[in-house]
Amino acid sequence: MRTLFTIAGKDARILVRDRTALLVMLAMPLALIFILGSALGSIGQGDSLDIDVAIVNQDAGDTGQRFVDGLTGSKEIDALFNIEVSDDADAVRTAVEKGDLTAALIIPSDLTEKITAGEPVGLEVLQDPGSKIAGGIWAGVVRAGVSSASAQIIAVQTLQEELAAAGAGAQPSAPQGAAPEMPPMTFDAVAVREIEAQVDKRISMISYYSAGMTGMFLLFGSMFGAFSFVKERREQTLARMLSTPASKLAIVGGKAIGVLMIGAGQFAVLLIGTQMLFGVDWGQNIGATILVGAAEAIAAAGLAMTLAALGKSERAIGGIAPAAIMLFAATGGSMVPTEQLPKFLLPVQVVSPVYWTVNGFLDVMRGASVADVLPGAGAVLAIGAVLFAFGVWRLRFE
Amino acid sequence: MGSIVQVTDLVKRFGDFTAVDGVSFSIEEGEVFGLLGPNGAGKTTTISTISCLLSPDGGDVVVSGHSVHGATMAVKRELGVVPQEIALYPTLSAGENLAFWGRMYGLSGAALKSAVNEALVLAGLEDRSKERVEKYSGGMKRRINIAAGVLHHPKVLLMDEPTVGIDPQSRNHILQTVKDLNASGMTVLYTSHYMEEVEFLCDRIAIMDHGKIIAMGTLNELREVVGGMDVVDVKVESVSDSVLECVRAIPGVKQVDRTDSALQVLTPGSGAVLGKLVATLESEGSHVTSITVTEPNLESVFLHLTGKSLRD
Repeated sequence: MRTLFTIAGKDARILVRDRTALLVMLAMPLALIFILGSALGSIGQGDSLDIDVAIVNQDAGDTGQRFVDGLTGSKEIDALFNIEVSDDADAVRTAVEKGDLTAALIIPSDLTEKITAGEPVGLEVLQDPGSKIAGGIWAGVVRAGVSSASAQIIAVQTLQEELAAAGAGAQPSAPQGAAPEMPPMTFDAVAVREIEAQVDKRISMISYYSAGMTGMFLLFGSMFGAFSFVKERREQTLARMLSTPASKLAIVGGKAIGVLMIGAGQFAVLLIGTQMLFGVDWGQNIGATILVGAAEAIAAAGLAMTLAALGKSERAIGGIAPAAIMLFAATGGSMVPTEQLPKFLLPVQVVSPVYWTVNGFLDVMRGASVADVLPGAGAVLAIGAVLFAFGVWRLRFE
Repeated sequence: MGSIVQVTDLVKRFGDFTAVDGVSFSIEEGEVFGLLGPNGAGKTTTISTISCLLSPDGGDVVVSGHSVHGATMAVKRELGVVPQEIALYPTLSAGENLAFWGRMYGLSGAALKSAVNEALVLAGLEDRSKERVEKYSGGMKRRINIAAGVLHHPKVLLMDEPTVGIDPQSRNHILQTVKDLNASGMTVLYTSHYMEEVEFLCDRIAIMDHGKIIAMGTLNELREVVGGMDVVDVKVESVSDSVLECVRAIPGVKQVDRTDSALQVLTPGSGAVLGKLVATLESEGSHVTSITVTEPNLESVFLHLTGKSLRD
């Protein structure tokens, strides 16, 4: 065991002094997170003037429909929102939770009845927490609509009262107080309840790319691990190690732990760096985040062995490794969300450690626990074990 | 003292090529044993098999009673290896390199620190121990390369061409270091294609060519192979076949070998031959540019046995 950590410590020390490696493993992901997160953030957050919203009118009376007509009939509102009128409240709620809709208004079935009775009633405004600005605009529009409707009703009621009073003067036989017998119909009793979708918390683009780039760049540790192995083979330090009382297994294990240590350090820097520089919220469960990251660092160690086995030279590995990592990353959601990728890529996704890692990070950001991310971490470890076994099987020491 | 290394009928093949072909020798405890031969003779393969880097295809190697068949770790613990290449980490300092190799041999704590300091003194680099190895000269790297092989005080030190590509001053330092290590009781197996180094260092020498040992013994025993004859090296402007025949016909000339624009003549009495030799060459139109007479050495032994120079 001591030999393993001697080799791993030496490899880590050498890598820390390699400026190119540090640039690739630390500076590049941070720069890409910043560039992609900043450039795509506004689109991702849906804060454009083309906000997708829905209205579900469940009101049995006609007040709800008048309210809907008021919202959909306004040119100003139409310029800001794509309004979909739906009958399915559950579907609309799910759409907001998934981020497919930025916000929604759900009008209760007893709106007219309660307004007529003068009882309090609530309009439900759902909004995606990842699109607070757009959701806030929608809630403001709904409130303005409520105020306007209240003013109209009051005006109508006042007119009706005045007409009733005038009628009473002309027709004394009419019973006094006929008009006051009308229900005090007013929207003042309507409360707008803003509800943030909780089940599937939407993630900002900077957070998304923090997960994506971390998932991708953690694998680059494997490239430097493979470089190290091939370089040691070329420069005969590997042969020298083999002439010491260290077994081949101990040497391979030490090299693998070296990659793991490098990955752990890289992950810590990216985690803290993205939090401090970009304010990324990696979620409340740091243990789950570490589990996901650690699983990929272990898989990177396995990939390092496969790369060292396949590449006869550093140049060969320099060609194979980025291509393999980019393929894993592109299909794994590092660059665009996996749901936007074609379905035929699914078989590639499931063998990509990046896919499970990125989704694991995103799940933890949305509130997932250790138990929730365990299956994904297990998949990454399984992929890593296969890569490690293949690498060790095919590795050449001479 | 008994044998500390015994190599018996060692065979190592790479595909159809037999790199080591039935090599046998033993090394006595405390001696410096030399393996001399041109590049490709099989010296490095022999050393790699002794150090368990390669598995033999035939025969056996026993070090301190441990066979490479089944007791490789025990064999490795007895050995220190100085490879032909500078097998160090360029971006680590000399001290860090030595500490790493010390740990690989199981040293730790105060013993490791002491061994590293001792090795730095041996290399003469105690003042520059914190500098990265990549900043060292070739000779300094060679010295650290040796220090890394001996810091754990092995019983047997295997040195594979440790002076390749260095300046004379560093070479002298290394040769003296080998002498000092041997004087401290370390057994040394030293391979080289520089006959001067082997003559200077080794108690016994095995000459290898094409994977086989073609001669073995002390320096004096090997000199006897050429019958104690003088070696006359003559540099000429050109050597034709007819000139060669004329030289061979000179009385007292026992053997003539031609290398490029030079002749090597073996004779029991150079004094009686020199005059006729020069006259013959001049009369045949081969202008003599220099002529040297030496006592028999390993170069002449090798030439005598193989018909070619060690540096061919």
